[in-house]
Amino acid sequence: MIHIDIKKPLLGVDGFMQLDINININKNEFIVISGNSGSGKTTLLRCLAGLEECSGTIKVDNILWQDNTNKLKVQKRDIGFVFQSDALFMNMNVLDNLLYVNNDMTLALRLLDMTNMSSFQKTMPANLSGGQKQRVSICRALMKRPNILLLDEPFSALDNNIKSKLYTELLQIHNEFNLTTIMVSHDLNEVYALASRHIILDNGIIKKDENLSELLNNIEVKEQIQLDAKILKIININNQKHAIVNINNKFINIKLNNNKCKVGDNLIILSELFI
Amino acid sequence: MFKLFILILISFKLSASTITVALASNITYAMPTLKKEFNKIYPNINIRTIISGSGKLTAQIKHNAPYDIFMSANMKYPNNLYKSKYAISKPKIYAKGKLALLSFKQYDFSNIKELLSSKKIKKIAIANPTLAPYGKASIEFLQNIKLYKNIKNKIIYAQSISQTLLYSLNASDIGIVALSSLKSDKLEDYKINKNFVEINPKHYTSISQGMVLLKRAKNNIDAKAFYDFILSNKAQEIFKNYGYDI
Amino acid sequence: MFELITNLDFTPFLLSFKLASITTVILFILCLPLAWYLANTKSKLKPYIETITALPLVLPPSVLGFYILISLSSNSPFGSYLDEVFDIQLAFTFNGLVVASIFYSLPFMVQPLQNGFESLNKNMIESSYIAGKSIITTIFKVALPNIKPALLTALVITFAHTIGEFGVVLMVGGSIEGQTRVASIAIYELSEGMDYTNAHIYSAFMLIISFIVLLSVYMFNAKQKQKLVGFK
Repeated sequence: MIHIDIKKPLLGVDGFMQLDINININKNEFIVISGNSGSGKTTLLRCLAGLEECSGTIKVDNILWQDNTNKLKVQKRDIGFVFQSDALFMNMNVLDNLLYVNNDMTLALRLLDMTNMSSFQKTMPANLSGGQKQRVSICRALMKRPNILLLDEPFSALDNNIKSKLYTELLQIHNEFNLTTIMVSHDLNEVYALASRHIILDNGIIKKDENLSELLNNIEVKEQIQLDAKILKIININNQKHAIVNINNKFINIKLNNNKCKVGDNLIILSELFI
Repeated sequence: MFKLFILILISFKLSASTITVALASNITYAMPTLKKEFNKIYPNINIRTIISGSGKLTAQIKHNAPYDIFMSANMKYPNNLYKSKYAISKPKIYAKGKLALLSFKQYDFSNIKELLSSKKIKKIAIANPTLAPYGKASIEFLQNIKLYKNIKNKIIYAQSISQTLLYSLNASDIGIVALSSLKSDKLEDYKINKNFVEINPKHYTSISQGMVLLKRAKNNIDAKAFYDFILSNKAQEIFKNYGYDI
Repeated sequence: MFELITNLDFTPFLLSFKLASITTVILFILCLPLAWYLANTKSKLKPYIETITALPLVLPPSVLGFYILISLSSNSPFGSYLDEVFDIQLAFTFNGLVVASIFYSLPFMVQPLQNGFESLNKNMIESSYIAGKSIITTIFKVALPNIKPALLTALVITFAHTIGEFGVVLMVGGSIEGQTRVASIAIYELSEGMDYTNAHIYSAFMLIISFIVLLSVYMFNAKQKQKLVGFK
């Protein structure tokens, strides 16, 4: 159980604001924190890790991580941290990056296997792709066998087709290592793919805090859905007007019955659902 | 009438002239007085002085530095210049330099040999003998009083006689400097037999300082005027007052 | 020609290299924590400390030498304290040159190291702390290995700068054979004394040795860069 009650003055997009967070986090929760740029999400994560100063109390499983007089050093906190990018030790190969944290070869090989990185043991980080680097970062974060895993927008710099694979791997790790995971992300797909609880920050305070497992159970069954799309381009095929729209990152070609449509118009598309 | 006017104009221009004299640094102290006396007779001749080590000046002259007269701290360099035709007059001795022991601390100078060998004196500043004529004489002095071998390891070498003065006044325990420097008003706080003492000239070959007229001053009557002045009785008196032998 | 070379007195060169080596080692030990501090601190004192460490760059060597001479000589309060209590004399000794060189070459060790540390990815350093490693372990196992070019620059330039040191030594040295008559002073005295032949020989020798040292260092640097990307 993590108890956070902290305050910190921040420089946001619109000037000074106060980060003011008071929450409790239960074991094994997978929390995704989202919010606009400058709302304090990364700062909250870094304060929890001990990488930044803040006032207030942080207590983890009856161990005091900080109060107004004492602060537990970063090195002593039971956490793993995955940064957004470029945090691997560039002077060591993949395997050494892991062994630097903890000289446990068995654990290292197991983690590399779970993230499909076994064949890259001797590769230097400079020769890895973005997705591969993040996989190694996740493995490295777990070498200490922490109870808490913190991730700061770990997948935001990656392609969509890589992301879904990584979601699966991360969830597998979360479950197998019995972690309490807190991830900052502004991608709603990640919320729905991974989170058991979703927190939205705005101007340093919690605007919304909902338990998603309940939410997901309460969504009504639909047989027909409504999609919104914008017209990107209008073309002429055999004297028939077609509109090119983008739905879910795919380009769809739709016959137009209405000649009054132009580029930039919003369309409402009704579709029947089949799996 | 017009011709007279031009002549007078020209003579004014000629008489408001500048000559450049290259001086060995030990003459720095005597120079202001020499200039003053010279300008009493020749008020319109301006003397510009370049002060440096004799060796440096000689090298510069050999590279056609714009000097009219060279007053060295020895005879070797002027002889060299005369032989290689950079100087147009045979070197003449204008003064003989003398040595003094100087410290900014106070010592008992009654027995120099004892003083220099004592534990109190840890560093003795001397001008580098291969570069400075005064340094060469300093070593000669130490050898002649049979002290050189004993105190060799206490010697620190300054690059010039001026740097020797700097060391003696700031850093080393004692130094062998040009006696003429003691006549400068900047050192009037230093008392004879307390801070300094003249070294008996019999212990070293006199430091004959030579002067030459340089190639550049070939038809320069002003330069010749100064040259003659330096060898005159008046100037020689001044040198004597500044601690030189004549 | 060969005789000219065998008749060379090598003492000034050995002295110069000895001085440069000892100075570089001492400066590395002193400046590593200083550079790390400057790269990581947010203190308001930072500009003042940076100015002080950069002063030797701007001051004429003769000014630096003059002040060092005055403060180290056994007539100064500091110098006489060392003399009376520890029987250490610094002016006109090799050790005094080391002290002077430390001041003279300080910025050349601090600045490349500081720039190197500042260019490091902060998250990488933080990852090491999160892994439970101390600051010292992080500096030696993560920070320094990742700034090898800057580290090399710092060491090489400090070394080279100290070899070339002249104005300060001229003031503080006293040109004592085997103690303070380093190569730059020896060459100066030869040229002053119009012994141009030997001045040429000494200078050419210095040039060749310095060239070889620098070249091997930069070649090593290039090889290191290759290692980072895994080429053999």
